[in-house]
This record gives sequence, structure tokens and C-alpha cells, in this order.
Amino acid sequence: MAPERHRILMVSDFFYPNFGGVENHIYYLSQCLLELGHKVVVMTHAYGNRSGVRYMTGGLKVYYVPWRPFVMQNTLPTIYGTLPIVRTILIREQISLVHGHQAFSTLCHEALMHARTMGYKVVFTDHSLYGFSDVGSIHMNKVLQFTLADVTQAICVSHTSKENTVLRSGIPPEKVYMIPNAVDTAMFMPAEERPGGNEIVIVVISRLVYRKGADLLVEVIPEVCQLYPNVRFIVGGDGPKRVRLEEMREKHSLQDRVDMLGAVPHASVRSVLITGHIFLNSSLTEAFCIAILEAASCGLLTVSTRVGGVPEVLPDDMIVLAEPDPTDMVQSIKKAISLLPGIDPQAMHERMKKLYDWHDVAKRTEIVYDRALKCPNQPLLGRLSRYLSCGSWAGKLFCLVMTIDFLLWHLLKLWQPEEDIDKVPDFVIPTGETSSAFDQELDDQSSS
Amino acid sequence: MNESSITTPRFTYINDQKGPSAAIDVHHVIVRQSNLKGLLVCLLALCFPANGLYLFLVLDKSPFILLWSLLLSSIVLKLGIGNSVVKESVVIMPRFGVQLETHYRSGRISRHFVPVSKIVKPVLLEHVSPVTCYWILSMILQKEEELTPVFKELHPPLKMLVPIWKALCGAVSGDKDSSLHLSVEDYGQSVFS
Repeated sequence: MAPERHRILMVSDFFYPNFGGVENHIYYLSQCLLELGHKVVVMTHAYGNRSGVRYMTGGLKVYYVPWRPFVMQNTLPTIYGTLPIVRTILIREQISLVHGHQAFSTLCHEALMHARTMGYKVVFTDHSLYGFSDVGSIHMNKVLQFTLADVTQAICVSHTSKENTVLRSGIPPEKVYMIPNAVDTAMFMPAEERPGGNEIVIVVISRLVYRKGADLLVEVIPEVCQLYPNVRFIVGGDGPKRVRLEEMREKHSLQDRVDMLGAVPHASVRSVLITGHIFLNSSLTEAFCIAILEAASCGLLTVSTRVGGVPEVLPDDMIVLAEPDPTDMVQSIKKAISLLPGIDPQAMHERMKKLYDWHDVAKRTEIVYDRALKCPNQPLLGRLSRYLSCGSWAGKLFCLVMTIDFLLWHLLKLWQPEEDIDKVPDFVIPTGETSSAFDQELDDQSSS
Repeated sequence: MNESSITTPRFTYINDQKGPSAAIDVHHVIVRQSNLKGLLVCLLALCFPANGLYLFLVLDKSPFILLWSLLLSSIVLKLGIGNSVVKESVVIMPRFGVQLETHYRSGRISRHFVPVSKIVKPVLLEHVSPVTCYWILSMILQKEEELTPVFKELHPPLKMLVPIWKALCGAVSGDKDSSLHLSVEDYGQSVFS
């Protein structure tokens, strides 16, 4: 039996032209799903002048909806404001399943809510770990509880992340799948010749913010430089903690031993990594950490804090773990330096190719989609009972929100019937034949 | 005179070929009247004079209030019904140009002529707004950064836009075969230099 072709709408506030873990995940997953024969459309908010419909590699269609981001790249939350545009896109692209990404994305939460109201199956992927005790986390977790109360399936990027998501949202663990991220090993290849000489280069590439452990670097770097006169650091990235690192450099006169590169474009990350022997990650929290995958793919030995999902990412001989404490990190760097002679970058790269592959991620995600689409449809009353369990007051509020969404959807169906929304023809332009195939599609559309 | 048509609940499309050898190609998109909208506008417009009469006759207010309410009512009628579009037409005169017409209920006709030599390419695009997305037919013109929409007010469905787009492409390519040809690269230079 031929595999079923799905029509997927990926929704998130985080997409190209931004670069990051979530953005790359959506892009690579979409490309691999397109190669498997599925139709993928991405919906995100407009970035400056980038507004409207754009096409990316492989015919990946992206809707940059002109909703202004208001805080940390998130669309202004209006609860019902995005219902008309989400409905229009779902109908015109003939979507069968909606896949939202990232708990911090307001557009994702709203789109999943509207999609469930309209009876579509929804899948949610959580990319980050969150706390439980601070005000921001409490609110975020309540919103997540609302979204995941009625989600069809969920995906997390590590077992630690799955545990965190289940505890925060109360979703049954049997609904949550664990599919790790991957790395583009064709892009991240080791240098043909390893950097030689007596010098050992330690590379750090991350945003210089609190949660990425920039404060730990301020204490670790001078200590290591004092212990090992032949060690040099290359620090790539920018952020509010950069000033602290610059001050540390000045205070300990390490200008010739610590290079501060500033923000490194993603396309240049590999060229920085291959100048080093060791990759240092000092994050205080990570659901997965794609950065250490990229470093391992380039043949670097990784030293990382033992936080979140990091211990699940690399085999023990490719990574040295440390507690998020300066003393322990210095000890781990010492151990990594002693292990360096036994490291073969090419062998490491070959192992990474077998361990992590976006095509494998796409196939596993396809299984999740197949299972989601087999789940039975439930009427509104049945779905409302799931929201009631979210809390004594919150449950009733969530039910009210969903009921109003349901009524607004029906009003919208009267105002703009489905027949008035043009379906988009599936344009597949084969190489070497342009206008004839295109004209045929348009003729088919105009005669329907 | 050849004629073909397509009908949807909101619009009627008529393609007409006129003139000697059916050279002039006319495409009309006509709004199918919505009585409900007209009724709602009339009801709204009636509210103002009714309120004015109540204030003047019952509450003994100044007669100027009645005059103001009649003025407001006529403005609402003018905006709601007078300015509503009855039809938009695209008249294609090969090797000469394209005339875009908008016919209003008040009888006013707005016309815009585009010489065919100025048209680089007609394009079908998807317009995305914060609340909806629909197909539009536009023209890329020489030395103009903005696209020129073929239909200013109406949003006809794709099945009506496709034959108009093909007719425009035919008119533009016919002109390019005969005389000055401006490639897309030249267009880019002329706009951005």
C-alpha cells in the first residue's frame, strides 16, 4: 500500500530569516518531508519587509502573515485575531494536519487552538525546558496546559524534555513521542588537516546570555589559561554578557589568548569550529543542544555542563560532562586535553553521520503524523471535558475560550463560506519543462 | 462577437470580443447584487433622520438637528451604496494598451490606461493580509516600483483571473515580438538605477 501523502502546516513565530535551533529544525524537517512526498507549508509572522508568500528551496511555501511581533519575536496574542487567516490558509492549502513548534510561540498556540476548533489534527513539538516556580514559567505552563489538553500528539527532543513537558502540562506521557534533533553533517565537516602545533584551541559559540552560562566562562577561562600556557580560547557570539567577558579579558591581560569574534553568522560557524580542538558548552539549561552536535560533526571533543538533555546527545567518548560549577568545568577541560591525542575528527564525523540524520527525524515524524490522523474525531462537548481538568478556575475559563472560538468559527463560515476561498493548485515545476506544466495546472483550476 | 462567461455566487465574469476581427478583448467582472447589504445600509441611514425627528418633535430640540441628521443619512447612503462598485472591466487592445475601468453604482466610471509598451509582465500573486489571503492579478510596469493591480476594488476568484491573465500575457508577448523588448533585467536596471 502506498504511503499516505500528508499536507502539513508548520506554525511557529520562529523561522527564517531568524537563525536558531527551532528555525533550523522546522526548515530541515520540512525539506526532508518534502523529499518524502508530503506537502509542507510554513506559517510565521512577517519579518520587516518580508511579508506575504515566499518560496524556499524545494518549493517550501512560507506565509509571512503581517502580524507585528511585539516581544521576543512573538506575535501579539489576540486569542481570536488569527482565526480568519488560519482558517483561510487551512482551507486554501487543503491542509490535513497542523504542526506547531515551541511553547514560547503565541502564534503556535493560537493556530493550534483554532485548528482543533475546526476539527483538524494537531501535533506540537516542544524545543525547550522551562521551570516551575517563577512567575513567567507559571503563566507559560498554564498556556501550555491549555494547548496540550486537546493536542492529538506531542513530540519532545529528548527524554528529559519529555519528562519536563509532561510534568508542566499534565499531558498523558503515552501521547508524547521523543524524536531528537539532528545535524546537517554535509555542512559541518572536519577540516582536511587538524589544526597542528603545540597550541590547543578551545572554541565557544553561543549567545552570551545568562542561561547559556556566560558567567561560568568568566571564571573558567582565566583559570584554564593559567594552568595551560598553550591553550587559547575563541569566543563567538554576542549578548548582554559580552561586556563581562571583555572585562575579564582586560583584567587578566588575556587579549592575545582570548579572541572575541562577536556574532557569528550561521553559515560561518563551521569555519570557526574547525580552527579548534575542543568545544566548550556552559549552558545552564538545554533541552537538547544542537551546538554540540555541530561541534562533534566537525571533529571537536566537547566539554559541556551536565544539564537537561545534554547527557543524551553524544556518546561518552565524544563528550566530557561537568557540573555547572567553575571548578568542575576546569577539571573536565583538563581531562579533555588529556584525551585529545586519541581523537580522530574524521572518525567522529563518520559516526555522527550514522547517529543523526534529518531524514531519520522526518521518517519518525511521519509515523507520528500517521498515528495522529488515525485518532478519532471528537465533538465539542467531548473535547471541552478535557479542558475542565486544567484547574478549578482555569478549566472553566479554557472551556469558555474554546466555546467562543467555536461560535466565532461558525460566524466566519457564514460571513465567508468555504466555497468562496480558492484552493491553491499544487505547483510542481519539473526541470526543463516550465510553462506547459504550469498552464495545465491553471487550466485544471479554472475549469473546476 | 464572441462571448463566454463564468458565474459564482458573488461575481459574474463575461469575456467579450469586439471590433473588426474581434481584435478588442474585453473582460468584465460584475458584482452580483447583495440585497442584504443594501437593506442594511438603508436601515442604518434611516436611523439618523428617525432620531432627528424624535429629538425635534418630541423633545423640542432645534430644527438644525433634523437637518444634520438628514445630512448624515445622505452621507451614509452615498458611502454605502453610491460608492459601491457595480463592475470592473479590462479592455485589451493588442499592440496599443490596456484600459482598466471601475464602474460605480452612482454612475461614475474611473478609467486608467496603460500602454502595452509599459507593461513588463502581468502576474498572478497571492496577497496576504492580517485576516485573509486571496489571489490578485497585477502588472509589473516599467520604471514603477509598485505593482499595478488590474482590479482596484474587487477580488474575483482565480478561475476568473486566469483567462484575463492569459489574455494580458498574449497582448504583452505580441507586442514584444514586434518592437521594443524590455527584459526583466533591463526593468530592474531602469527602476533601481
